[in-house]
Amino acid sequence: MSKKDEILKDQNGFDTTEVIPKGKFSAITPLSQRVYLEITGSEEKDGIFELGERAVVIGRSAECDIQLGVQNVSRKHARVLLQNEEYLIEDLESTNGVFVNGIKVVKCVLRNNDQIEIGGVKLVFNEEKRLRKK
Amino acid sequence: MRSLVEEKMLVTFWGTRGSISTPGRTTEKYGGNTPCVTIENQGTRIILDAGTGIRNLGIELVREAESRKQPLALHLFLSHTHWDHIQGLPFFQPAYLKDTKVTIYGSPKKESFLASVLKRQMDYEYFPVSMSALTADIRIQEMSEENIHLGPIMIDWEEQVFHPGGSVRYRFSAHGKKVVYATDVELDLFFGRDNRTEEKEAAAREYLRFIHGVDLLIADGMFSAEEYPGKAGWGHASIPAVIEAAAKAEVKQLAVFHHDPQHSDKNLDELWVKYRSRYLLGPHKMDLFWAREGLTLAI
Repeated sequence: MSKKDEILKDQNGFDTTEVIPKGKFSAITPLSQRVYLEITGSEEKDGIFELGERAVVIGRSAECDIQLGVQNVSRKHARVLLQNEEYLIEDLESTNGVFVNGIKVVKCVLRNNDQIEIGGVKLVFNEEKRLRKK
Repeated sequence: MRSLVEEKMLVTFWGTRGSISTPGRTTEKYGGNTPCVTIENQGTRIILDAGTGIRNLGIELVREAESRKQPLALHLFLSHTHWDHIQGLPFFQPAYLKDTKVTIYGSPKKESFLASVLKRQMDYEYFPVSMSALTADIRIQEMSEENIHLGPIMIDWEEQVFHPGGSVRYRFSAHGKKVVYATDVELDLFFGRDNRTEEKEAAAREYLRFIHGVDLLIADGMFSAEEYPGKAGWGHASIPAVIEAAAKAEVKQLAVFHHDPQHSDKNLDELWVKYRSRYLLGPHKMDLFWAREGLTLAI
């Protein structure tokens, strides 16, 4: 009996599970995640804003991380933050409110493809998860 | 001066699923936890039902109590005691904190019903920790006919008979706004056109009166029109039945609730698209949406 046969048969002669070397998996990172807001309804600011671990403030003020120069947008209108490994949006007591899929919300956990509206500006929340090679 | 948000009732959904929890990728948008909703206003905190959603609420409340260094005072209103509405209670962390006060309210319809049912759920055969081990100050209060006043919120209620074993619907009023929580009731049985009886007529009138003009109705809408005929008698409403009743009663905003465990996010999105536009453009403008976990509204 070869050495390989010894490994693959237990004492009763039944097949056992072969151990796969760790190196076979090391080239793949299990999951990569890209999370971003796609701004679609603003003439001056269409584009993509990547989200990370830091909270992001959206509003008309120049201090905001995402500045929307639209009159219906409050100076500090909304905040997107990561909490319990989920992104959520909250209204910062804005004048015209925050809408998610057409519903006026105070706070809402965001899911992929949620349609956000802030003072007439439309933003889409995108959450892409995929396997990625190193 | 109080801010606008302080004047409003904050309504948060912690669990929206009916019957059994449904974890997994296909239900992550609307959520897989069974019923639990909170209503808050000026420090008064009301919890509606203790389905599995109450577990996450409990974690948040403990975190908040620790950071504020203030004990919790909570009011839990149960629609009824079917499993999906009470099974989160043994996992509700504040119930294990000595200085937390929890008052549990429910139907007075059956003597000692509420206390014994909750206690039996935690019998050793079902759960390793008995109810007596919950160190919080827990009081169980069967409701009387009098309205309940908690801070700025006034609560009235009615029994609902068209559900196996019955259930209770609640109405919460504060600052001129009203929220109704009316889950687990088969509206089709008393709004349907077949086999009309005086009892059904009366039930329909009472229901419409109770929800008339409310700012938010959170209501059972478990089955699609196509599914309902095969589920008649199960004690849950079809989506068109609840939408029609809400529109008739001039409800301003309807949250369809108690989602069927078989309905994926995709199914619920499709139902939302199918029904929502009709009422946004109709003669009586009603905002219609499917309740989802992690959503907070100001009413």
